[in-house]
Formats: sequence, C-alpha cells, structure tokens
Amino acid sequence: MIRLQWLDYLATLRERKTWLCGAMLLYAVLSIPVMLARPPAHVQEAIAAWFGHGGPFVLFMYVWIDLAMNKMVAFLPVVLASGIVLRERDVGVLSILAAKPLSMPRYFALRAVSACAVMATLHVGAQLLGLVYFTARVPGFRPLAFLAAMTPHLFAAIFATCFSAAIAGWVKHRGASALIGLAVLGLLLGLSLIGFYQPAWRNLTLVNPMSLGALALGNLDHLGPKDLAPPMLALSLLSLAAIAIGAAGVRRMEA
Amino acid sequence: MTTTHAIEVEGLTKRFGEVTAVDGVTFAVESGEVFGFMGHNGAGKTTTLRMLLGLTPLTSGTARVLGREVGRETIEIRRTAGYLPAHYTLPPDMTPRQFLHYVGAMFGLPRDVVAARTEALLRRFDLVHAADRALRGFSTGMTQKVGLAQALLNEPRVLLLDEPTSGLDPLGRHELLELLRELARDKGVTVVFSSHILSDVEALCRRVAVLHRARLVAFGDVDHLKAQHGARTMDDLYLALVRKEAA
Repeated sequence: MIRLQWLDYLATLRERKTWLCGAMLLYAVLSIPVMLARPPAHVQEAIAAWFGHGGPFVLFMYVWIDLAMNKMVAFLPVVLASGIVLRERDVGVLSILAAKPLSMPRYFALRAVSACAVMATLHVGAQLLGLVYFTARVPGFRPLAFLAAMTPHLFAAIFATCFSAAIAGWVKHRGASALIGLAVLGLLLGLSLIGFYQPAWRNLTLVNPMSLGALALGNLDHLGPKDLAPPMLALSLLSLAAIAIGAAGVRRMEA
Repeated sequence: MTTTHAIEVEGLTKRFGEVTAVDGVTFAVESGEVFGFMGHNGAGKTTTLRMLLGLTPLTSGTARVLGREVGRETIEIRRTAGYLPAHYTLPPDMTPRQFLHYVGAMFGLPRDVVAARTEALLRRFDLVHAADRALRGFSTGMTQKVGLAQALLNEPRVLLLDEPTSGLDPLGRHELLELLRELARDKGVTVVFSSHILSDVEALCRRVAVLHRARLVAFGDVDHLKAQHGARTMDDLYLALVRKEAA
C-alpha cells in the first residue's frame, strides 16, 4: 500500500493541475513583497488596531496569510481534490482501476491522501521559497516566526484538501463539487480572522477549522509548541474525519 | 455445476430502474477454455462481465468466479482476474511503464516482480519504444495494447475481455487471438471473450453464450449449436438465433 501511495503521489504531482497550482503559489511568493512596498495607509491603520502595533513583520504576515495563502487555500484544494475519483470515473480511467483488488472507499482514501501530500508539497515549497526571498525583500522579516506561524496553516491547507475531497465523495458531480467546495471554503476562510477583528467572538471562531490555521497571527512574538500543537492536532483529526466521511460517500459508487 | 467450472452464473439479473439489462442469465465457463460471449450492443454482455467483478451489484441470482461468490468475495475475485473493459481511458499523464507499475502496486505485487512483468509485457505488445511516452498521445491500437498489458499484469487465472479486438489492426488482432489461445492452452487461463465480431469468436471459441435483449438465447458448443440451427457459419447461427427471438 505504501508503494501504491507513493506512485499515486508521483502521478498526482505530474498532473497539469498541480503545475497550475505551483504557478499560482510562485506568483503569490513573488508578488507579495512588491505589493507590500507601499501598503495603503488604511491597511496599516487596521492592522495596528487589530494586532496592537503595525510593525512591518506583522503587516507582512497579515498580508501573507490573509491576502495570499488563505486565498490559495480556498482555491488550490478545490483544484486538487474536488474531482478525485469523479474525474477518473468521468474520463473512463476508473473502469479499469475499479476492477483491481481495492475497494472504492480505499481507492478514494488513496487519492485523497495523494492530493493532501501534493498540497503539502506545494505549501511547504512556497514557504521555503518565501523564506529565502522574503528574508532578502521584507524589512524586519523573522524566518523562525514565519515558519512557526505557517506550520498550522499547512495543516489547515491539508484539512481544506480533505474537506474538498469529502464533498466530492458525496456530491458525485465534478462541477457541483468544485462550486460547493469553493463556496464553503471561501466562507470559512473569509470568517477565519474575525476573532482578531472582534475579540469578543474569538472563542466562537475556534469552531471554524480555518481559524485554527491562522491562530499564530495573534501571537507572533511568543510562538511555542503549546500554541502550535493544539491547532495542528485538531486539524489532523478533522482531516482524517473528512477522508473517512468522503470514503463512506463513494461506497456505492460505480465506475 | 461442477468444481471444474471457473465461472458459474445462475439466474443472474440486473435492473436499472425500469430497464432490465440482464434477465435471469444462467451459464458456466469451464476452467482453461476460451469462452465466447456474443450479442449485439446493449444485449447485456458488458453488464454481465461488470457484475462478475463486482463493479455493479447484482439485482438477483448468483455468480461464482473460481469458486468465490460475487458480492461477498469481490476483492478476492479481482485479485485473480484480469479485465479489459470495452470503453476506457488510460491516465493521460502517465507513461505505459508508470501505469503498469501503478497497476502492479494495486495488486500488492513485489516491486521486482512488477518490474519484470512490466518489461515482459512491454516487449510482448511491442511497446518498448513507447514505454516512456505519455499515454496522452497514444493511438487507439496502442492504447488497446496497454489495456491488454494491464489486464495480464497480475497473471490472472480468469481473463474477462470486453470487445478486446476493437481498435486493433489486422496484425494486432491476429496476435491477440494467438495470445489468448496460448494463455488458455499453456497456462490454463480461463478467457471470457465478449465480442460482436463473430469471426473473432468463431476463430477462438469452442463454446459460446449468446445474449439477446438481456436474455440468454443460446449456450453451448459452437458446432452443436450450428447443427441444431442448421447454420454453416457463426454469422448464420447468430442471425438464426436473433430472428427466432424476434419471431
């Protein structure tokens, strides 16, 4: 099974949609420092109000997480996972693969894990590339705090991929699956930072899995394992649950 | 039915809502034979083969493949079976070699075994020169060769082929029929050869089942059926059976 998972990951990595996602992330990495060279005054004021100060690193992290990576996490998981198994069924690949000794739920789980692994590869790749590029381009950039803050976000991206796959498992129509995935993930990500804007709602927003991925934004100066581990653990469990739910959805699907 | 039967089907029925795709079909395929499965498009051949592999659930009836019950031991059946569907697409971004390795991993075969079988099949189907080219640009005939190679990768004991000669040129067709004879004769593989190309069935099969409008209209030895219906060729036999049903 490990060998099959590895081959499936490589196959997913070679797909055109993966290259499209990679190109989008590359654009995000390269463009954000350029956009941040002259941030609008109202953005700086808003960040100063929400986060207590408007230092350049906090401003950068807000822009990177909310305006770049959160948008990516609303879109890329849908591209990678909203059609898993459905695309194979629609184009006719599944009529061959479904006859192999692998049940449909297991095949779904295989494809979902590969999509997550590809999402993780792209996410980590973007952060590592960013680490090098931002160190040179962003004033006051702090590499360790950047990596620490982006680690829970990686888990949020993986959850978003599993969630998108789970929708595919139940909706069973590629177009509808993509639209629902985009709408729901867009909504969750749109509301993910609301706890920073409205501190009174902070606890309530923790039920939003995507908020867990951005929690580090409120505590960039003192990030430690006890800040990072709980959201990562919660997102891991939610990801596993999403794959299990999606796999249950394809149980009776025919090739 | 005896245990020498590789496939045993009894009262097999499949309904899709109001439409009956397969209606109470009963037949048996002997171990190591090349069995012809004939009928026009929509007669129920594909649905029957799909039911044997658990790709679509049975509405009623029973079926056993190599003694294993369809529906209860589906994964075990698939482990020992090879299947080439009539309509399929190969993963466009993979190469034939990558695809065969992928299929081998689906069977859980050891890596070195998959590598050796892949190379042997690539040579057998004259695909070595194209083994590392993306499947995206493959012709119908080459796609069909890769399709056949994947069906043989697990060295199946039962091979279910749905219209396998479609898309093959005359030479490729001749080679495939020869390969199927060889598999049955030398390795004891049971082949179910579903086709509406009657000359292929006649060239390959001693026994056949004929489906017409979801029902089994004939089953048995080709020569016996021909004599029974006063037919000289397979074409004559098929037409006689279909006309008799229509009357």
